[in-house]
Amino acid sequence: MPDRLKALARMLLRRSRLGSDMDDEMGFHIAEYRDDLIRSGVPQAEAARRARQEFGNIGRTKEDCREAGGFSMFDEFVRNVTYALRQLRRAPGFALSAILTLGLCIGANTAVFSVINATLLRPVPYPQPDRLVTIVREMRRGGDLVSTSGQDGYAWEALKDARSFQVAAIGGTSGVNLGIGNGALYVQQQRVSAGYFRVLGVPLARGREFDESEDRPGGPPAVILSYGLWQRVFHGDASIVGRTVLLRGAPFVVVGIADETFRPRGLVDLWTPLMPSTKGEGQGLNYDLIARLRSDTTWAQASAEAQTRGIAAFADRKIPSTISARMVLAPFDRDNRAALRNRLLLLSAAVVIVLLIGCVNIASLKLARGAARRREMGTRIALGGGTASLLRQLITESLVLGAAGGAVGLGLGYIAIDALQAVVVRYGIWQELRLDSHVLLATLFLSLLVSVLFGLAPAFQATGVDIRAALLEGGSLGVAGERSHWLRHTLVLAEVALSLVLLVGAGLLIRTLLYLQHRDPGFDGTNVVAASASLEDARYNESDSVNRLYRESLDAIRATPGVEAAAVGLHVPYQRWLNDGVRIAGNSSSPIEDYGTALNYVTPGYFEVLRIPVREGRVFDERDAANSVPVAVVSATFVNKYLKGRDPLTCALGSGPLTLQIVGVVGDLQQQPGLMRSGPIALEPAMYVPATQFSSAGFRMAHTWYSPSWVVRATGGRAQIARTIEKAIAAVDPQLPVATVHSMTDERDAALQSERINAWLLGILAALALSLALVGIYGIAANAVAERTREFGIRMALGSSTARLMWDAVAPGMLLSAAGVTIGGLLAAASVGVLKGLLYGVRPFDESTFLVMAGVLIGVSGIASLIAALGVARLAPANVLRQA
Amino acid sequence: MKTLADLLPGTLDLLVLKAASLGPLHGYGILLRIQQISRQMLQIEQGSLYPALYRLEHAGLITSEWGVSENNRRAKFYQLTRSGHTRLRKETEQWTLFSTAIGHALDARPEEV
Repeated sequence: MPDRLKALARMLLRRSRLGSDMDDEMGFHIAEYRDDLIRSGVPQAEAARRARQEFGNIGRTKEDCREAGGFSMFDEFVRNVTYALRQLRRAPGFALSAILTLGLCIGANTAVFSVINATLLRPVPYPQPDRLVTIVREMRRGGDLVSTSGQDGYAWEALKDARSFQVAAIGGTSGVNLGIGNGALYVQQQRVSAGYFRVLGVPLARGREFDESEDRPGGPPAVILSYGLWQRVFHGDASIVGRTVLLRGAPFVVVGIADETFRPRGLVDLWTPLMPSTKGEGQGLNYDLIARLRSDTTWAQASAEAQTRGIAAFADRKIPSTISARMVLAPFDRDNRAALRNRLLLLSAAVVIVLLIGCVNIASLKLARGAARRREMGTRIALGGGTASLLRQLITESLVLGAAGGAVGLGLGYIAIDALQAVVVRYGIWQELRLDSHVLLATLFLSLLVSVLFGLAPAFQATGVDIRAALLEGGSLGVAGERSHWLRHTLVLAEVALSLVLLVGAGLLIRTLLYLQHRDPGFDGTNVVAASASLEDARYNESDSVNRLYRESLDAIRATPGVEAAAVGLHVPYQRWLNDGVRIAGNSSSPIEDYGTALNYVTPGYFEVLRIPVREGRVFDERDAANSVPVAVVSATFVNKYLKGRDPLTCALGSGPLTLQIVGVVGDLQQQPGLMRSGPIALEPAMYVPATQFSSAGFRMAHTWYSPSWVVRATGGRAQIARTIEKAIAAVDPQLPVATVHSMTDERDAALQSERINAWLLGILAALALSLALVGIYGIAANAVAERTREFGIRMALGSSTARLMWDAVAPGMLLSAAGVTIGGLLAAASVGVLKGLLYGVRPFDESTFLVMAGVLIGVSGIASLIAALGVARLAPANVLRQA
Repeated sequence: MKTLADLLPGTLDLLVLKAASLGPLHGYGILLRIQQISRQMLQIEQGSLYPALYRLEHAGLITSEWGVSENNRRAKFYQLTRSGHTRLRKETEQWTLFSTAIGHALDARPEEV
């Protein structure tokens, strides 16, 4: 076999100079023979003549050699490709639409596959990823899973010295300020415990990772820079290791530089020690624990040890007796994959449907062309072209189309991957999306597959060509040949049915997005801009300094012409708010469990800026100072949920050591829920406290997770308002950069990003499917008109009305789309279940969506058929009859 | 003198393999070699040799290489591949078996039946 392969490879290489090689070889033969003849006494001229004559016909011999050497099959292939290209050039409309259709379908599949490849197929980019785990906390009531969550400081204490695995803790990633010269840069900081890089198994480019002494409360401030930041800001200066930088308003020693190839989850510019403890954030479930199993332990051993140690961790916490808590080892990228898997499966189903529709469409186009080429096929068969060689030629034509479509698809996929990159970054994927060998192979495979798929039908039809009928029909004697139509009609039917499935899916997702976008936001966001800045900063460790910053910057902003109102709040609507538990004084029904609430600290004026309606009592003003009675304002939902039947203004709330008097009730705001999974945005119980009364410890903790926002209502547009805020903050603190500037619509879009992406992606795919189906329907009608021209002409001459004839032309397409819609409706009903977790404000079996989409499909196929049928109206009976 | 057209089909391939197995040869050399080893009893039609060479090369039984002939002319030399040698051995065995069998059959006398 290898010899054969080598021979084949050589043959391909040699093919180009085959002709001259054969001339040389046979020339040599004749020359040698001639010389031998001369040597044996034959005169020179006679020898040359005999040598040539006895060799025989050189041309025929060469032809025989070509065939014997297997060159002829390749020649046939080349001939077929050339012929296929000529066919495509001759029908540029068909070629263009087929290649574009294929390109779009393959491009969509390439892009989606690249995401699947990066997220689900390629392992996380760390050594021995199968030994990496996350340790999560599972809470069960009875047998039911209540929650899977991160860990608190007690769990860290209990697990950090485990024997069977090395463990590291990760806090959140937040924006902080890095001092550069006289200003500061807003960068992304991830807080990690000592051992983080060791557990992941990635070495640093320079320096070392944090040690135990740095990773404990009160330890010396240390920082590790990402390679990118080191290059960008410090220009790759190696002497930076060991020097200090101004970070979060204080000096930090640079102890290391991460490796260039290291890819953390999400965007990280630098790392600081987490300093895990059982105080502050360590009291809540704010740590993610990752671990690497030691080489001599099994998963079961590690799991058992985590569980045993977990018991000690849970003993320190007040966990209700009805709940059983457990430490569970999970694959390292569990969250990531779970979050993406369903969405990706949905998306791949959609792109595969589009691809199928595309194939069906091209097959049907080719069938139509096949009908036009019946005469050609008939002629070729009549002239002795074997069915096999005819098939080979048809398949070659499909392959050429498939290859061209694949190339276009690859290009489109490349563009789409770029666009998707920005989307998937949000899901914190480790791997970059790229066109690697997997994706290229998948695209190649897909191109081949579709070539076969859409090539099959016409080939199937071609082999059944009845020579006599084809030659006759191709002349002018033909009448409509019904026999070959069922195949094409079935294909278009399938196309319509599949389109409806996608249309219904897209319709439901679009309705979800519209529903969420048009829910009453609870505030008025027009002319409001929110600008955030990181206060996770040594200069803002105290309540006094934070409030001074707010007061002075807000005074400057309010003094600017055009500004109507300004305030600062930890959060703005549509964000995910800080969660806190409060006790409700005088409520004895459940003295232990805290009531979960979203918490926001605000300066006076916050409610005015956002025009949040005040339902009862008052909101904050200058009276609510640091040393006056602690007060709170709660949301309507808070009252409905927790203070049912009581006068809220008489109630007090216990928060930590404080007792807060409720002084007012305000309307609800849409926000990303942190307490319950109730969709992307919801109305949550919310509590507001004055910034002046927020504790220093509270500020420090809140600011490690969230950057507060300056919210300003003003005329003059977003850019101008942003400049006003930036100038005012810079005047108070030149080292405090504004991190983000958002309008309230931006905030809403950010909260609904997943839903928007869903609706857009499926919407685009459904539109693609719809237009492909329309081309199919149009083709059917146009074909019917073309085939029945003679019949129509005769009927017209006999007095039939144009409307009646047009109806006859439109009817087959309409019947098909009606049948397709029926089948598609059933298919859609059977498959909308997969959307269940993604729909809000609309049920999967939403009749109106089904009906509207069916109507759209039937309506546009009617229009497509009608356009094709207009040809009938232009018929001149006399011409038609004369042509016959 | 017999021409090869009168021989059994497939014989030419076998003869070419045999000739080429005795060392690299160009096409003309193979022709001469066949005449020589068949003791001038077989004459091959010159033009039919080359398709056989191309067929055998395509089947991976022989390889070719351009070189210089004894008369200092550029010539293409053929030689057996590993599978060519295997094939030659097998065909030789079969041929021997076949010719022995036919020989026995044709030698048969009435009293032996």
